[in-house]
Amino acid sequence: MDFSWLNLAIIVFLAAGTLLGAMPLIGATLLAPKSRARDLRLPYECGITPHGPARVRFGINYYFYALLFLAFDVDVLYLFPVAAFYPHSPGWAVFWELMIFIGILALAVVYFWRKGVFMWPRKVTF
Amino acid sequence: MAAKSDLLIKADPSIDPPILNIKPVQQILDLCRSMSFWPMTFGLACCAIEMMAVGMARFDIARFGAEAFRPSPRQSDLLIVAGTVSRKMAPAVVRLYEQMPAPKWVMALGNCAISGGPFYFEGQYGIVAGVDQIIPVDVYVPGCPPRPEGLLEGIFELQKKLTGRRWWPESREDKTA
Repeated sequence: MDFSWLNLAIIVFLAAGTLLGAMPLIGATLLAPKSRARDLRLPYECGITPHGPARVRFGINYYFYALLFLAFDVDVLYLFPVAAFYPHSPGWAVFWELMIFIGILALAVVYFWRKGVFMWPRKVTF
Repeated sequence: MAAKSDLLIKADPSIDPPILNIKPVQQILDLCRSMSFWPMTFGLACCAIEMMAVGMARFDIARFGAEAFRPSPRQSDLLIVAGTVSRKMAPAVVRLYEQMPAPKWVMALGNCAISGGPFYFEGQYGIVAGVDQIIPVDVYVPGCPPRPEGLLEGIFELQKKLTGRRWWPESREDKTA
């Protein structure tokens, strides 16, 4: 591959872009006075000190419902092509394969059923 | 006053000088800074109403380059203390001042910010008698509240402090005096 004017233009463009991006940063670093105040780097800017840590544990109640949605959604998603092909399928083999597929997906629903997700339990106590 | 003010936490005004401290360059930069103050949107009491008025079309602080009121201390270089600083609010004022990047200036707008104003009396316990007890103030604008023109004059004084000259015509009263 030979080096053309286009390649040079791209390199010049990249260099100019980098320079234009870097110049204000370098200029500010060199020319601006710096504050070293105590609270300069506090995360919040409203004048109030942050309260409590950022890494807290919170309930993931909706995790179950998300998984449940996935179970039904994947079910429906994969059944559309099956429904389109089903009238043209020969014999009973396709029917049993479909039953196995739906059975496996239904196990997820049974699992959540046994977990008590459908009882809509109140997870948070006040 | 002095006996009480030791309860207040003073702001940390420490600012490192620029690495390249070339005087003409800094003068040019100071001129640019003085013509484009970015005040913080920070109103504590009724003086803030005048501050709002000064941002609107009639008084139009944009004529003097200081209309970019920022809602964050990190983006602003002019803290206009517009109103009464209560003791409860004082730590927040200090924190906001400290969160402003350098260079930064402070304007005490109105009598409350200057000295406690009408809310200061012997034995009171709720008001900081002058914001200069907690943060360094560059320009004082008296009035209760000051007229918007007063705030503009304060901006001019700050520009004068930075650049060494006044950039706008004197008012008629100042000329006759």
